[in-house]
Amino acid sequence: MADSSDIDAALIAKLQNDATLKAAMPDGVFFGLAGLSIATGKNSTRFVLVSIAENVDRAVFGGRAIESVLYLVKAVSLSGDSKGAAARIDQLVEDQPLTVAGYTWMSSAREQRVREMERDDVDASIVWTHRGGLYRIEMSL
Amino acid sequence: MIKTGRYGKVLYDPAGVAPPTAQIVALNGWKLSQKMGKTKVTCFGDTNEVYVPGLPDVSGSVKGFWDSTERALFDAATAETPGMLQLVPNTTEPTFFWSGLAYLSADIDTTVDGAPAVAGDFMAGGPWTMAPAGP
Repeated sequence: MADSSDIDAALIAKLQNDATLKAAMPDGVFFGLAGLSIATGKNSTRFVLVSIAENVDRAVFGGRAIESVLYLVKAVSLSGDSKGAAARIDQLVEDQPLTVAGYTWMSSAREQRVREMERDDVDASIVWTHRGGLYRIEMSL
Repeated sequence: MIKTGRYGKVLYDPAGVAPPTAQIVALNGWKLSQKMGKTKVTCFGDTNEVYVPGLPDVSGSVKGFWDSTERALFDAATAETPGMLQLVPNTTEPTFFWSGLAYLSADIDTTVDGAPAVAGDFMAGGPWTMAPAGP
């Protein structure tokens, strides 16, 4: 039985299990909202954030045939090698097969690059760096 | 009763046997057109053009995604004899369908940013009927 959430989980697992990315962003890989650091247990300051920007299902007669999910995958940090982390994300996702039970991988490709700075809402002296991309992953059922 | 097209179905038998039992997979649309040719019989004194009906024509199209596990549409496109085509608007009302012998064509459209799409046109290769038969 295909479960769409398993696609999210597979992507996150792929990012979590990479030592190079973990070295650059040691606080973890989170979906939607950053949690406490898996390294220190304190607030995360160097992490990877994954979210769904858009999702399109394509049907054939009798059911869903393709799930096309546009993920925002970015390194978010106060310090550290965000450039290297974004490059590593690209190496891990672009054109890289994703194994998910119930699905057949079709493609993984970046549609847009993301690079922006964000001033912290609470402490204006803090600037967050966001670096990564919008990646479309297509899986067929 | 108005039903969704989500549960449509296209069946095909290359030998022309009715009813066809094999579904053409990965399709997501079909269209059938019934048009009756008209012959102009306008005469002196008529106040407008006048026509009389000729024979009904049946043609249409199917479309969907390329699925490498099946090539029925492309095999049909090269067939020299018509196959039996059955078009079902909704499988929850399986007694309602159009069927008949048909010649098909096939197209495939592949782009870098999407799944390869297939499409085909058909034209009658024999008599066509709508089921259930009308009054």
